[in-house]
Amino acid sequence: MTSLLDRTRATFVRAAAVYRGTPYARMLDETAARLDEPLRVAIAGRVKSGKSTLLNALVGERLAPTDAGECTRIVTWYLDGHTYQVMLHPRQGPPMPARFSREADALEVDLGGLSPQDVSELMITWPSRALRTATLIDTPGIGSLSERVSQRAWDLLASDDEETPADAVLYLMRHLHVGDVEFLRAFHDTEVSRPNPINAIGVLSRADEIGVGRADTMRSAHTIAERLAGDEVVRRVVQTVVPVAGLLAETAMTLTEDEVGQLRRIAGRSAAEVEGLLLSVDRFVNSMPELGLTSLERERLLARFGVFGIRQCSMLLRRTVAGTASELARELAAISGLDDLRSVLRSLFYERRDVLKSRSALLALDSILRSQPRQGSQAVAAEVEEIISSAHPFNELRVLSAIRSGGIQGKSEVIAELEHLIGGAGTSAALRLRLAPDAAAAEITEAAAAALLRWQRRAENPLTRHELSTAARVAIRSCEGILAAGHARR
Amino acid sequence: MTQPQQATTGPDATSGPVAAASAVVELALTACQAYGRPDLGSRLSVARRRLAEPGIHLVVAGEFKKGKSSLVNALVGAPACPVDDDIATAVPTYVRYGTQAGANLVLDGEPPRREPISVSEARKHVVEQRAADRSPSGGAAVAGVEILLPRTMLAGGLVVVDTPGLGGLASAHAAATLAAISMADAVLFVTDASQELTRSELDFLTRARELCPIVTCALTKTDFYPSWRTIRDLDTDHLRRLGVEISVLPVSSTLRSRAVQHNDKDLNAESGFKDLVRFVTDTVAGRGRTQVAVEAANEVRAVCQQLTDQFAAERSALVDPARAQQVVDDLTATKRRTDELKSAAARWNQTLADGIGDLSADIEHDLRARIRQVITEADELIEAADPADTWSEIEPWLESRVSHDLIANYTVLRDRSADLSHLVAEHFRAASGEVLGTFAVYNPVSLLARSRVETTISLEKMTARKQTMVALKGSYSGILMFTMLPSLLGVTGLAPIAIPVGLLMGRNSLREEKRRQLTARQAQAKNAVRRYCDEIQFVMGKDSRDTLRRIQRQLRDHYAARAEELGASLGQAMQSASEAVKRTNAERDKRLRDVDAELARLRRLAQAAAEVGG
Repeated sequence: MTSLLDRTRATFVRAAAVYRGTPYARMLDETAARLDEPLRVAIAGRVKSGKSTLLNALVGERLAPTDAGECTRIVTWYLDGHTYQVMLHPRQGPPMPARFSREADALEVDLGGLSPQDVSELMITWPSRALRTATLIDTPGIGSLSERVSQRAWDLLASDDEETPADAVLYLMRHLHVGDVEFLRAFHDTEVSRPNPINAIGVLSRADEIGVGRADTMRSAHTIAERLAGDEVVRRVVQTVVPVAGLLAETAMTLTEDEVGQLRRIAGRSAAEVEGLLLSVDRFVNSMPELGLTSLERERLLARFGVFGIRQCSMLLRRTVAGTASELARELAAISGLDDLRSVLRSLFYERRDVLKSRSALLALDSILRSQPRQGSQAVAAEVEEIISSAHPFNELRVLSAIRSGGIQGKSEVIAELEHLIGGAGTSAALRLRLAPDAAAAEITEAAAAALLRWQRRAENPLTRHELSTAARVAIRSCEGILAAGHARR
Repeated sequence: MTQPQQATTGPDATSGPVAAASAVVELALTACQAYGRPDLGSRLSVARRRLAEPGIHLVVAGEFKKGKSSLVNALVGAPACPVDDDIATAVPTYVRYGTQAGANLVLDGEPPRREPISVSEARKHVVEQRAADRSPSGGAAVAGVEILLPRTMLAGGLVVVDTPGLGGLASAHAAATLAAISMADAVLFVTDASQELTRSELDFLTRARELCPIVTCALTKTDFYPSWRTIRDLDTDHLRRLGVEISVLPVSSTLRSRAVQHNDKDLNAESGFKDLVRFVTDTVAGRGRTQVAVEAANEVRAVCQQLTDQFAAERSALVDPARAQQVVDDLTATKRRTDELKSAAARWNQTLADGIGDLSADIEHDLRARIRQVITEADELIEAADPADTWSEIEPWLESRVSHDLIANYTVLRDRSADLSHLVAEHFRAASGEVLGTFAVYNPVSLLARSRVETTISLEKMTARKQTMVALKGSYSGILMFTMLPSLLGVTGLAPIAIPVGLLMGRNSLREEKRRQLTARQAQAKNAVRRYCDEIQFVMGKDSRDTLRRIQRQLRDHYAARAEELGASLGQAMQSASEAVKRTNAERDKRLRDVDAELARLRRLAQAAAEVGG
């Protein structure tokens, strides 16, 4: 059986033949090329929700400039490549290379006399392992004071022609606002599957600020994220919500020995002294000269760690939970929630990248076929519909979105099992069967066989509602898939 | 906004404008009794009650999780409002003075009912509750919680109102908060140092500034965000660019609470609360109290005028007995005009009746036009996407959209009725001015008389606006706007429409079947919107008609009472004038001395009243 990606490619070949010699040929070529590129993940959210900071944390380098005021004004792509290069796409005229320099804190791009309004996109090519897995797109925030900056985020995410440049989105929220949900909706098309949480993960960002830096802040953040993820409205638009302290995550990935040395001086003090020192940011900068840190160094520490981060680090160092810089970095990555986010990204986006990429490519193709009918385009459109309606991964997504929108009713336990089985929490066999990640092959086979039987009974039970029995048939295919993969391995 | 709970005794009981005003009001009350004018006395009693319970409302507003409750707690130095990382304030909390700590539940109703509860119980009513924990609401909806605290800051009648988060300018909460702000004496807008002011925050501030004369912005959490100074400067710039004069006060509630706990002066200074406390006590409470005092003193001046007029007429008759009969004749003619002033045929009364009639029609038309616009927009939204997906968003959108239109409709009502009451005041003054002018002819101190007529004009103008506000504050739309909207929307709320979403599989007719289901859903959603708007229009139409009728009654009673007072003054004057004719020369001289003494006393009282509030 051919893979979804191969079927999609084949359809594109036929479409290219239909549109040869028309202005759409190039567009089709570009869309087809996306199938072989890394997954495109956009980072979106309200103004100052910490998008650039999180991007830096995910790349592991300080690339995107961050600042207290509004910062990102241009949609910026970060792609993997062999050389360091920045391409500037003006609103008018052809793309041109831009000069750039890398300061200690971030990349600085010279717009060559253009104002940010005149630049539609920046493409930054940067050799990086993280970018090989996914191309990241930094967007200006919505709710921005300047109407135009906001409009750009909309352009990227909700372009009128249904096709969105991004395959998936990380949506950052600080506390859920009405405006947020509205924004997220724009991502969802109406064809392959209804507005659904297929390609979006919510991030409760700046999580360290929720409890204003108290020691139990992250626990509060987890509770809030859990509540949000269970919320009916949120469930319909994102798969899950993960709390992340972005600043701490970024610092964890770029921690220096110097910084650890400075933190050690603070950790050397008694707990009560540190508490007094961290009572307010002004006190931290100005009191206790005996620490031997200049006020510039202190301000820098604050900017890099925040009050919560300094508190955590001094505790970790004092209790010698972490001794070296790399140990401290590891601890901080865990505390900040970055590790959790990465594993969620892996199971929900990266492992499903072929489906997500095919999906956005087919969507783009579909919109061209519909708006520009030509001889032969009808046949290709039928083929697209055939893939969309029959490919098992798409069926899984359709069931998932039906569950999330309340279209499938049943006992909550049954629905939860169904949601996992069709890959709602991630596509690995263990996740689908709700087993431990290191479950043995035999255990997986046994569980899958049991699930197969259960769902066959449900599908055939005349008392099962129509929707659930339809979904059950999809679940059966999923179980068969797991069993087949097990066989193949053996 | 809420009814006064109990008499307060504050620092102002012994000094300050309120004390001065109380003193002149007491004197004037004694005078009214001595001169046998209980009608004027009752007018002063109202002023006395308001002096004892000024009820100066400071509304604390801002987005979710900006530290509003923490700020209120730090301000009053007590955990009055519950603070939580996740759960937000759900109903307004009124923190006011009480001789001992206590709490009341304010229940929805007209007028709102109070139910004493324990302080610890208050928390669970204030914070938002998860659907599962919500107790079955057998009784009336909770409109708010009142916290009583024995704090000097609150003793002068200051009421600090902690409000639920706005959730964006477009939300129903924002509409309710704006309505509350239009009734408030001052607004403290809370934002935090985590980011600069957003567009919706700035929009809200602009609207608030239009509705309330005193608005200040507090920048919280300065202990936590290193770049709070940058944020403060950015915010100040944004506000300046908007052209609104609002100052930004950086504060740290954490430091302030800790400073109070440890009695740490340095920490208190660092918390920035000194400026905030000064704003609250001087600008808000101080100015509020001064205003109340000035209003009371103006009542005293108005009363003094009437009494002076009465004595002045008698004096004219005493000075020149030959012309006494003419005085009486003129007074009789004036009295006739005053009686006309009371009748339904008086011009001011007709202006009022006609005005209310027109206004009623206009307001209804305005509402209908607005609702029609809402329905058009809702239809567009429903057409644009599948209601099965968007219904959960259309519902709150519709509610907030409608509540904003209700507020706008109500603002039209408020402004137009204020204009109307100005016009009525103008007409009344024109008619009564002639009456007062008649006095001036006989008044030996003509200069005083002229200035008096002028003060009357400004006084009447001032009371005209106040009258409308009083009528509105007492009305359903005004006082309960905070709870009215949610409960109104809740009662007639959108019936949950069942939108069937079939799980479709297989390639055959996938697209067609989807389209058919979609059309059915859209029709269903449009119907629901129409039913809802019908209901809103019905309820609101009745409410605004009632409000206007109440305003009409209130204005009519107010001016009828003024006319009544004028009539009584004239009656007394006529009686004394005719008595003056019958007196012997010796008696006349003696009486003249008495009257001069009374006039001097009244002049002194009016002078003292004029000095209240600087």
